[in-house]
Amino acid sequence: MAKDSTSIYYTEGLPVPETPAAGKAPKPWEQTDVIGKPWPRVDAYERVSGTAVYPSDILLPGMLYGAILTCPHPHARVRRVDTATAETMPGVRAVVGPETREADLPWSYRNVKSKIFPPVCRFEGEPVAAVAAETPFQAWDAARAIQVEYEILPHVSDERRALDANAPKIHDGGNKVKTETYSRGDVSKGFADADVVLEQHYRTEAELHTPLELHGCVANWDGDELTLWESTQGVYAVQSRVAETLGLPLAKVRVVGHYVGGGFGSKLRTSRYSIIAAVLARRSARPVKLFLPREETYLSMGNRPPSNMTLKAGVKKDGTLTALAFTCLGTGGAFPAGGTSLVDWQIRDLYRCPNISTECTDVYINAGPARPFRAPGHPQGSWALEQMMDALAEAIGMDPVALRLKNIPTVSQGRQGSPPYTTTGLEPCLTEGARQFGWAEARRSLGAAQHKGPIRRGVGMAASVWIVGGGGPPSTVIVKLFADGSANLNMGASDIGTGTKTIMAMVVAEELGLKPEMIRIEHADTGTTQYATPSGGSKTVPTEAPAVRDAAVQVKRQVLEMAADEMGLPVDDLAYEGAAVASRSRPDRRVPITGIEGLRKRGVVVGVGHRDPNPEGKSINPFCVQFCEVEVNTQTGEMRILRFLSANESGRVMNRMSFDSQVIGGITMGIGLAATEMRILDTEQTGKLVNRNWHDYKLPTALDVPADITSAPVEMPDAEANTTGAKGLGEPVTIPTAAAVANAVYHATGIRVTESPIHPLRLCSLLEQQTKEG
Amino acid sequence: MMPSFSYVRPGTLQEAVQHLSAKGAVVHGGGTDLLTCLRERIVDVQKVVSIQGLKDLYGVKETAGGGLRIGALTTITEVAEHPVIRERYPGLAQGAAEVASPPLRNQGTIGGNLCQKPRCWYFRGDFHCLRKGGDTCYAPFGENQFHAIFGSGDICYIVHPSDTAPCLSALNAEIEIAGPAGRRLLPAAEFHVLPEDYVMQETWLAPGEILTAVRLPPPPPGLRSTYRKVRARRSWDFALAGVALALQFDGDRVAGGRVVLSGAAPVPWRSRPVEDAVIGKTLDRQTIAAAAQAVVADAEPLAKNAYKIPLFRGVIEEELERISRP
Ligand SMILES: Cc1cc2nc3c(=O)[nH]c(=O)nc-3n(C[C@H](O)[C@H](O)[C@H](O)COP(=O)(O)OP(=O)(O)OC[C@H]3O[C@@H](n4cnc5c(N)ncnc54)[C@H](O)[C@@H]3O)c2cc1C
Ligand code: SF4
Repeated sequence: MAKDSTSIYYTEGLPVPETPAAGKAPKPWEQTDVIGKPWPRVDAYERVSGTAVYPSDILLPGMLYGAILTCPHPHARVRRVDTATAETMPGVRAVVGPETREADLPWSYRNVKSKIFPPVCRFEGEPVAAVAAETPFQAWDAARAIQVEYEILPHVSDERRALDANAPKIHDGGNKVKTETYSRGDVSKGFADADVVLEQHYRTEAELHTPLELHGCVANWDGDELTLWESTQGVYAVQSRVAETLGLPLAKVRVVGHYVGGGFGSKLRTSRYSIIAAVLARRSARPVKLFLPREETYLSMGNRPPSNMTLKAGVKKDGTLTALAFTCLGTGGAFPAGGTSLVDWQIRDLYRCPNISTECTDVYINAGPARPFRAPGHPQGSWALEQMMDALAEAIGMDPVALRLKNIPTVSQGRQGSPPYTTTGLEPCLTEGARQFGWAEARRSLGAAQHKGPIRRGVGMAASVWIVGGGGPPSTVIVKLFADGSANLNMGASDIGTGTKTIMAMVVAEELGLKPEMIRIEHADTGTTQYATPSGGSKTVPTEAPAVRDAAVQVKRQVLEMAADEMGLPVDDLAYEGAAVASRSRPDRRVPITGIEGLRKRGVVVGVGHRDPNPEGKSINPFCVQFCEVEVNTQTGEMRILRFLSANESGRVMNRMSFDSQVIGGITMGIGLAATEMRILDTEQTGKLVNRNWHDYKLPTALDVPADITSAPVEMPDAEANTTGAKGLGEPVTIPTAAAVANAVYHATGIRVTESPIHPLRLCSLLEQQTKEG
Repeated sequence: MMPSFSYVRPGTLQEAVQHLSAKGAVVHGGGTDLLTCLRERIVDVQKVVSIQGLKDLYGVKETAGGGLRIGALTTITEVAEHPVIRERYPGLAQGAAEVASPPLRNQGTIGGNLCQKPRCWYFRGDFHCLRKGGDTCYAPFGENQFHAIFGSGDICYIVHPSDTAPCLSALNAEIEIAGPAGRRLLPAAEFHVLPEDYVMQETWLAPGEILTAVRLPPPPPGLRSTYRKVRARRSWDFALAGVALALQFDGDRVAGGRVVLSGAAPVPWRSRPVEDAVIGKTLDRQTIAAAAQAVVADAEPLAKNAYKIPLFRGVIEEELERISRP
């Protein structure tokens, strides 16, 4: 075949990695041509131009619109649901409620059973009935016309009062979900050995995920086969829950989720609306589109639980940590949903410390169930631990970075058997981050002591470890090489906006020597792509990239075998060079890929890749250390973040451009926790959510986030971790942000803000107190 | 979603007034507030009357007397950027620039900004409170961190949301109104309604009346005007506390003027105590400190908004300091 046709697809002269023998894992990449470079998104044009079809863009012929009527009370018994009027309204094609036989389906949160339309609603926003109609307006008019008689029950919406003797019981067993404890060493001995012991209470407020695209789906039946276009982080997760609830074989449920307008963890879970949409679609024999309004997503689509934490810490004069004792009270809402999940992980694992105890109590309140929220539990624990480290450093007259450097672990102490980390990025992140930020100089020249006027500046930092981030099996990926040399990458994983597709295309490009634009990607479709776990836990790259690499290697092997046959040379004499296969011993013998007969005859070579298990007895974790500078107006309590630097050890940098984007996004989200966001319930009166829109629920705006954000990757390719050497990044980048801000505010003002968010409401009062106390 | 309504866009003021005299008729200016009010069903509406066809309501013109007439449909962005406003009434330009976010300023009008509905989350949410004809106010025992510290009359604790209104009030502007009974003028400082006068209405516009323009008097000699606003986040947010100053200086001495607070009360709140503390004085440290104490002397904070006490002190201190240095 003509040489020019290969040059369309291949980058000439690109050395591609050696093809390992069958059964052998590929060696770590040394020199790379694509991986690690800043590569624009493969779907940038579609996303920016609006041609990308998100689930909420789906329009099917004859499609109806669904609306769910939800309970307006945080706790109420549904006495009667009267749908008579709604059923006769214009355009209405189906109405379902607790009385509808096919909607009388179970739903559960972990081990607690409930129903799609529960007889007792335990949080505001639980479904009571639903409608499908020709237009969204007709659907909502009809939903509003459904008459519901509620018996309003007493509620508790403050977790700090959930265990009071007189608190209304949310479940028969009371309001305690569980208390979990952990300990190692001897904490009281540790405190006895300390030169300084400090104890402090901290609180972080509940946050709401607020992805741009609302939660929802389009449901369509074809006979007994259901297709759902769903805005989700994991199509296979939705498939299994929907199939189970509706009693369908997995094979009969197809879930498609090509694009997702953000999830941040809230789209890791399957929701009742998917079942309701399916039931409405079956009843009306029409496709049904059902997306929740923003208010409803705030009520029922998850949150980062509020955390009430107390941390007691002991340190020696030389900076050695001797003991940490931590307690946390939290809530995952009205059902078991991980209200204190992983809050204590920083305390258990980040620093070398022999004596530790933690106790986390999770309680029920009448509010929407939590869902994983970018690094569940971690930013809360970091808020406590990293502010405490700052205070300890001051108490012993040590620099905060130096104190941390004194306590670097090499093993994951929080885990059973204390396995070593494959790489420990904590120390280089601290030193490299401090150097690039200009920490020592800023620490000296800024700070409360240095300035007299009302505007004060300070710098702060915080470190972190992410509990997972190594990824792991299962994953099955297919790479197809076509006769003209272009390739198709087929994988089940979702790209939730983090750039997964681009990175996977880069892996194929690197391995096959192809230009990334010659690769077409099919993904996130249970009907046509392979099983993958949901995109979450910062595990998508370390899980999928090795499987993609394996699939590409399988392609190369088959091509080499074909070429060996045709060239009459032994296979191990041949090298896959990208555009061609060449003999190692006889440089004149080369065949362009497109000239291989076998490939042309068959039309395609299919490589199936899998994710191998992680190394035994090792822990694979990313580390992140952040530094920031803030300015506080002590007259008005206004705080401005001037600059941020994030030093991340996440193994190999796969795509420098999306790496930096994750850093910026994670810091932005962390600034939300630090300075602007909090869910507010009308605790004393109705228990209802009062800040239900984008004005009252305050996400940080462009002006709240500094333009000066530096991404400083500390690259330590982790050959043990997996065949690409990459670890997770998306969650680590948001863990230490809020604590770093709080520490900088302390440096600027001498005020320790232990309760989030740090906005003028809080700072004004604290500044006034400081003035009063002199 | 939305209730059903009819929509008209009359070409003359007379027709508009006629349409608006019907029950359930509302004015549609830029629609940035009206649309959300419709979606949240907090106004009972049958007819939406767009005033965008009324030519006389556009533009900024100098008046014969040396003042300025700003048509009701002038966008907030135009007010913020108008060279004459920036030069002669910088406080108003600053107030306009502090409103919401760029898209909202491009679409929202000055008329709509003065007539907008309050942001109390009980009012905007599905709570049937006093202002919506219910029999209770949820603020005093509820989530009142953004509520008023002055002027509630223990009835309703909204803070007036507008950033331009305090500036206009401080600058002694007048509101031009057209209605079934013809035209009338009202001082900007008297345009908004205190709860004790009537809890279900925010302005003194009568049924059928339209705000057609805002009139600014010629700037008196020595006038300096500023607006300062503190919010919970740095953009797209209403005032936690703010102050519009329009002070006439005679050399270093404050000869007269007005001080109007935002984020403080159900109406733009004229602070006589601050005016008394500064008028006739030079803005030295002592005067400024006295004014800062005076601003909150008779404040009545609720359980969760006591932070406004030090905040208003700080804002007054900072802003008087700033205006003292031209
Ligand atoms: C998210 C958000 C944040 C905001 N932040 C701020 C802020 O920080 N500061 C601030 O000052 N404002 C803020 N606003 C309010 C915004 O400035 C107003 O929505 C805008 O100025 C209203 O102008 P409009 O022309 O769109 O009014 P419309 O929405 O058309 O009307 C608003 C109200 O006024 C009535 N109305 C309008 N024009 C007239 C008229 N000429 N005569 C009689 N009645 C009339 C309407 O009937 C309606 O009730 C914010 C709004 C939003 C949505
Ligand atoms: S402050 Fe006013 S608007 Fe808010 S709940 Fe009370 S009466 Fe209603």
